[in-house]
Amino acid sequence: MSIKEVITVVNSMQADGVIEPYAIGGAVGATFYLEPVATLNVDIFAVIESVPGSLIANPKRIYDYLTARGGTMEREYIVIAGWPVQFLPPGTPLVEEALKEAVVRDVDGTPARVFTAEHLAAIALQTGRAKDKARLLQFVEAGVLDAARFQAILARHGLVAAWQKFERQFLGDEL
Amino acid sequence: MSFDLQKILESKRALRRDLAARPVAEKLRLLDALRERELAIRGRAIHYASGTVREEPAPYWNKPK
Repeated sequence: MSIKEVITVVNSMQADGVIEPYAIGGAVGATFYLEPVATLNVDIFAVIESVPGSLIANPKRIYDYLTARGGTMEREYIVIAGWPVQFLPPGTPLVEEALKEAVVRDVDGTPARVFTAEHLAAIALQTGRAKDKARLLQFVEAGVLDAARFQAILARHGLVAAWQKFERQFLGDEL
Repeated sequence: MSFDLQKILESKRALRRDLAARPVAEKLRLLDALRERELAIRGRAIHYASGTVREEPAPYWNKPK
């Protein structure tokens, strides 16, 4: 069971033209910037080709590619190297932008494309579950966010009010 | 061992900083280990047809409130 193996497989998918440039998000993406926090899945964002003649994403090519290489389907996940992996199309303008502006990081000689810290934080604010808020707080406390870049993302995606509410709720007089 | 809460909190912050500063490859290996541990804890309580344990996906399509 290894996330590095998952990254290697996803890199192969990109090299073979099965997916366009991808980016790692979620808790695994956050781990590139923060201390590791237990997670059960890997979220991979990528533009997924549509079903011909419609706007519905067609994951068949991904699943065919992976099952031919030993992956197994589990509901909406495909299990690679022991990890349930979900391939997600960018569903909002914020995630679309995050995918375009993702950065490449080195994992022991293996390149991994991952969302920037600022986009991961903004996405956590947008998704808004308790654990997303906890992750956003981790980003703030770790001091890894470029404040100007983060604020610009919030402004572009209509998240300023949500951020102000978050500040009032969780940051109190720290700011 | 100390029961001084301030010392305990500072020690926890220092540990988190230390973990965050480790090389990415090492942190990803820690995630592998954490998942193994999580499965050992949860695995017997949560049964799916295949036995694979995973989380609900995040609502990435959420609109800002």
